[in-house]
Amino acid sequence: MRLIDGPVTPTVISDTVAKYGENPDTGAHSIFLGQVRKDLIEGRYVKAIDYSAYEEMVIMEADKINKTILSEFDDVKTLEIVHSKGIVKRGEISLLVMVSAGHRQQAAVACAKAVELIKEKLPIWKKEVFEDDTQKWKQE
Amino acid sequence: MEISVLFFGVLAEVTGTHQKHYRGINSFSDLKHRIGDDFPEIVHYSFRIAVNNKIINEDPVLNGGDEVAYLPPFAGG
Repeated sequence: MRLIDGPVTPTVISDTVAKYGENPDTGAHSIFLGQVRKDLIEGRYVKAIDYSAYEEMVIMEADKINKTILSEFDDVKTLEIVHSKGIVKRGEISLLVMVSAGHRQQAAVACAKAVELIKEKLPIWKKEVFEDDTQKWKQE
Repeated sequence: MEISVLFFGVLAEVTGTHQKHYRGINSFSDLKHRIGDDFPEIVHYSFRIAVNNKIINEDPVLNGGDEVAYLPPFAGG
């Protein structure tokens, strides 16, 4: 698990694919990318999200998610999570989840489960920044 | 004992601080009352509390140097 300042860039994504592609036992990667959306809220369009996190607890909880996924899916080799902190503009990526497995079935299901656990368990908050520069904490 | 209290998300904004140290704390209940006195507006927000990075479901026994965190509903992703 990594928390990085600003967006998850195409370089971060391709470097992650290259890194986990080196495992010869892997036959499938499933990747989820979360992107900042141009939501319309009370007449204002979102132009960015400002993420904040309880970093120490994020790392601990991500480690638990990793253990959960690896124990539940015996074909899964690795789970990598990269999440943004700070400002991410709309259209940019704020979350990368990559599950590498021997075969595609477990890769896909484990990736979907990991995303749900990330949203439920990681102490991360987002403040929406609108085009008129007003801001609002997002409650999910 | 001394306890470090962290506020995150909307609660950092409402309290105007990310971290506050409390001295002379006798118990968790004592701490909660001191925080409530300092920041009465937080009762209007939903949150969970973590002690040393673990979310608690009932009042724990605090030890000096513990880190208590006020956590609004998570919104990652």
